[in-house]
Amino acid sequence: MDQKTRDDLLNLFQSKLNEAMRFYLETCTRCGVCTEACHVYASMGQVRYIAAYRAEIVRRLYKKYFKARGKFWPSVGEAKELTEMAVEELFDAAYSCTGCRRCMVYCPFGIDTQMIMSIAKLLLIGAKAEPEILSMLADTSVEKGKSMALFKEGFLEGIKRLEEEVVAKWKLKAGETPIPVDKEGADLLYVALAGAHSIIPAAAIFNAASEDWTLSFFEAVNFGAFVGDPSKTKLILDRIVNEAKRLKVKEVCICECGTAYRVMKQLAGKQPFNVVSITEVHARYLRENRIKLDRTKLNGVVTYHDPCQIARNAGVMDEPRYILGQLTDNFREMTPDPKYNWCCGGGGGLVALGEETLDFRMKSARIKADQVKDTGATILATACENCHTQLSNLNDHYKMNVQVKFLSSMVADALVR
Amino acid sequence: MDTLIYFILVPMVYIAFAVFFIGTAVRLIKIFKAPKHPTTLQIFPDSNSKWLWALHDTFLFPTVRRHNPVLWIFLMLFHIGLLLLIIGHLELFAEFKLFQLIPHEIFLGQGYVGLILAIALLYFLFRRFKSPVRDLSVPEDYYLLILLFLIVIFGSEMDWARRWYAYEEMAVSDYREYLMSLLQLKPYLPETVTDTGHSFMLVLHVFFANLFLMFFPFSQSIHSFLSLPMNKLRRG
Repeated sequence: MDQKTRDDLLNLFQSKLNEAMRFYLETCTRCGVCTEACHVYASMGQVRYIAAYRAEIVRRLYKKYFKARGKFWPSVGEAKELTEMAVEELFDAAYSCTGCRRCMVYCPFGIDTQMIMSIAKLLLIGAKAEPEILSMLADTSVEKGKSMALFKEGFLEGIKRLEEEVVAKWKLKAGETPIPVDKEGADLLYVALAGAHSIIPAAAIFNAASEDWTLSFFEAVNFGAFVGDPSKTKLILDRIVNEAKRLKVKEVCICECGTAYRVMKQLAGKQPFNVVSITEVHARYLRENRIKLDRTKLNGVVTYHDPCQIARNAGVMDEPRYILGQLTDNFREMTPDPKYNWCCGGGGGLVALGEETLDFRMKSARIKADQVKDTGATILATACENCHTQLSNLNDHYKMNVQVKFLSSMVADALVR
Repeated sequence: MDTLIYFILVPMVYIAFAVFFIGTAVRLIKIFKAPKHPTTLQIFPDSNSKWLWALHDTFLFPTVRRHNPVLWIFLMLFHIGLLLLIIGHLELFAEFKLFQLIPHEIFLGQGYVGLILAIALLYFLFRRFKSPVRDLSVPEDYYLLILLFLIVIFGSEMDWARRWYAYEEMAVSDYREYLMSLLQLKPYLPETVTDTGHSFMLVLHVFFANLFLMFFPFSQSIHSFLSLPMNKLRRG
């Protein structure tokens, strides 16, 4: 690696060194308490998947270039030069970590491995060694924000085609719009994913609850966050923030997508609107008796997978359980509890990388499959697109014999007048 | 030899404390002056009185208790022992009424605190010889533990000699004379400290302690200052 490239990469590294990051890089005592925390280590047993080991890959570079020790006595901390090989190690560490932050619950200091991995991801972008497809997807999202006019017509046509199916789930009075778009002054802006499954059930429930809502032009998913590019993450986020401000909505409701929800909730900053997840909104409708559910629709034991970014990392834990309590008498919790829930193994961009990561995703999430099987459930509900895809893959691979369902679809299917 | 002993017991102590205080201050200022993280780093479920919980997490290591109870026992013994020894060393300078609330001869614990600490340190060291902790450890981790073990073993031997074997040549009053003279910047080495049979223990104890103090600000030992703010971040 030439000096110029290295300097550029080290500048990127420096840009990440805020107070919290310095805490995390200075403190690890390598006590090994996090050993059992990572689902990849628990499933595959390789030392390089222990949280502290991953973090140490980044920390060794920090010790080399950002501590005086790196010059005088590098060997004491096994400080390491930034080379092509180091970049490969960074890739291995960052793209085998799903950012679930389960290890943070184990660490006596609370070191955030996901945050340390964000340095690795940024350096990979700088070295042009990141998974290209994630950057391309992020660019597409950014582009869509810049030139909405080009996409608008196609989008509206697509939405029109879904209306019939929405009405099939919930009949409306004559003249009412099944999927309102671009409605200024609506109470709630719903940000969905690109896909009918993310729009139809949600729309039916909004209509059933007589919500004054409007659908966002943009998809919720933030590929900038997956690839670890802070500026793209912000640009993708800002599209939605600007739309919400333009339409003067009171609430922005994020569909079943863990990363989108956490990014929007925690990164949007102080705004004139609230950010809520669709699960919270559904629980609210039920509590306020705005919708009613038929609890005889589901047969068999139901369990719920807490998406890491929605539950452990953003605090939506009671709401899905409240909803499931209205849907079935046969709910069974997974063990361990939501705070300690095993990651599905699909986060951090791994599911978005599709077939490329399938083999690793299956091997690294054996422990998740065991956890689901132990419940004896036949229906596995979840509230995140990535989790849903990964759990469906696991279901096929490990013959878990469950139906993997979106919580919102279960609510929509059980709606009664 | 006398010059070497003098160097270790006087100038090196000053150097070590200077490096420790200035080094720690400079490093902490640098860390705390960095910009704050823009978003929350909290883990849920949420808790009330976050500061109290952060203190609980910092001083009682609940996550270690849950996931590695044996390590937790040794960690608690080690850290409590460390606190008692720090109190003991303060009492070597002068009497503190506060510490005598539980009346005791100097160095609480009748010599057992040092023994427990030495055992805990050996446990910490030997557990690093075995995978997976072995694969995670770097030389710094071993050096620190070996250094601490040497400090504790030579320091404790002096205590044990007095208490358990009625060795009376080096008394508390001698240490006090030496330490107070250092504090008042008028260094003076009583003969009992430098020329009796057990002086080498003091010299080695102080030597290794000096090394430790000088390494402290630049090592993972800085966790003693960062653990609380980090645990606060996790609690939100």
